[in-house]
Amino acid sequence: MNAYIKFFLTIFLTFQMHAATGIETIEILGGRASQIPIAITPFDEQVQFKQLQAQKINQILANDLIRSGLFDVLNTDGVASIPRAVDEVNYSNWSAIQAQFLILGQVLPGTGNDTLEVKWSLVDIFKQKTVMTRILKGNSSQYRAIAHKISDLVYEELTGTKGVFHTKIAFVKKKTQDSYALYVSDYDGFNQKAIVKSQKPIISPRWSPDGKKIAYVSFEKQKPVIYIQDLVSGKRILFANFKGNNSAPAWSPDSQKLAIVLTYSSNSQIYLINHDGSDIKQLMRTYAINTEPTWAPNGEEIYFVSDRGGSGQIYKININTNETKRVTFEGNNNLSPSISADGKLLLFISQKDRKYRVALQNLLNNQYLTLTDGPHDESPLFSPNGHMVLFTYKDFGKTSKIGTVSINGLTKTPINVGSETIMESTWGPITD
Amino acid sequence: MKKSLLLASLLAALFAGCSTTEVEPMGLNAPFPELESDTAEGSGADLSGSEADSGLGLDSEELAKLKASEVLSERSIYFDFDSFAIKAEYENVISAHASFITETNAKVVLYGNASYEGSHEYNLSLGQKRAVAVRDALISLGVSDANIETVSFGEEYANQECTGSACGQDRRTDISYEGE
Repeated sequence: MNAYIKFFLTIFLTFQMHAATGIETIEILGGRASQIPIAITPFDEQVQFKQLQAQKINQILANDLIRSGLFDVLNTDGVASIPRAVDEVNYSNWSAIQAQFLILGQVLPGTGNDTLEVKWSLVDIFKQKTVMTRILKGNSSQYRAIAHKISDLVYEELTGTKGVFHTKIAFVKKKTQDSYALYVSDYDGFNQKAIVKSQKPIISPRWSPDGKKIAYVSFEKQKPVIYIQDLVSGKRILFANFKGNNSAPAWSPDSQKLAIVLTYSSNSQIYLINHDGSDIKQLMRTYAINTEPTWAPNGEEIYFVSDRGGSGQIYKININTNETKRVTFEGNNNLSPSISADGKLLLFISQKDRKYRVALQNLLNNQYLTLTDGPHDESPLFSPNGHMVLFTYKDFGKTSKIGTVSINGLTKTPINVGSETIMESTWGPITD
Repeated sequence: MKKSLLLASLLAALFAGCSTTEVEPMGLNAPFPELESDTAEGSGADLSGSEADSGLGLDSEELAKLKASEVLSERSIYFDFDSFAIKAEYENVISAHASFITETNAKVVLYGNASYEGSHEYNLSLGQKRAVAVRDALISLGVSDANIETVSFGEEYANQECTGSACGQDRRTDISYEGE
């Protein structure tokens, strides 16, 4: 299986090579030719559902793999016979459409009431052999979850990296000027559910790395304060309500600490505080703004935004030694840092020519590249595997929406969760 | 099969302990707090965590004076894009408020705001910096720190569809008197 890791690395290195030339047009990065060509057949579905499924399993798989930017999902309309099982695969049919891999399967009734079994296979067309065959069982309400699980297994098999198709996201919906809600949904926007509603703005939701809680900033006390809400019990605590503003919560990688931003009666400053609210201490003190903290995966460095140099730029500080370094130099303002799980890539919003775009910087060699075109992109966050970016985008005069962009820049996909203003999102962790 | 057990545990893990409803069997089913009742605590800023009240509220005479004065009815100080410098045109307004606060021992809350461009959190900091700029100006004119609270609304109440100079309306600090 790990032969394909090399393939993914090739894509990534190509993308970084182009970054070095400073070319910002994303179409050429890696190139579509470097995506894995895969055919996904309609599954042989033998189960009657009470409710119509909005998408069939093959469509869910296709959407997942396309969204990642690493797959070229082929049109199978012209292929004469659709195999239900591995022994029905006609390899030359699939070679003819240049498929390197094929996913096929059946949805069968399970043994219990309202249950189903999905038997599926991943086939290597080049090598003419079955890579894996699995049966996933569940009740019919788990139809989409099972499909996402198949996507995860295929993704890990072919890229060597865990998939994030089973993960959750959270986002804020602004329905009217005095109606806000924080929602949790599947990563693709399905199964959305409000977990808190308020008449006042909610911003900066951050999912704890252990998956159990979401911290967020609410204006319900006529000023920004931080709540932490337990996702199992639904109970929440008023976590930070110090004098002045309380905002920008950021969980440490072990979920034991948070970096938060307080003002008292001065400019925004970063503080560290235990998850139970104890042992608060100021990280550093300058007259300038220090905000938007985010932890490096090593738990020892915090990246943050400061205007100490005259404009908003990203810096990092070692929380043990207090050694501080400026990290970003391109663009007028660089905001909202997020670090990939391997610690190698910095993701942020970069402002040039009054346009705000999602940008990436390789922390090893400081190569810089923009992933989106703006004009008003915001709140970029890595998927837990670092291969996709969740962000907010807004065209002039339009309401803001959320979507994903693959880090090779090849695929930008909206997440459709409603016609309202959608903003300020966070991505939950991989839970298996 | 082993994998199906894995799936089952995967699905159960995040939502363990949730009550089930038929509507969203995969969703988070915990009851969520409705906050509408929490928002009716009062219109002023929440000052919990701040030092004890040092000033009294304004008496009726003082309130009348505040209302009658033309210059004191000017409550908004506007700033340029990405700027915190107080423009010369607002010196009179700020000095009138400084005198009134000093005379009456009034307490004020300075609400900073920012236009929508850029991140919500950075704009919260920019709004705060604008509130702090007005606070510093008041203090330089003799107002006690204890009479001033600063709060930022960032871009949260800004016009989200403005372009060009129209966005300038959102780059401001509003002066609000407690007990008014």
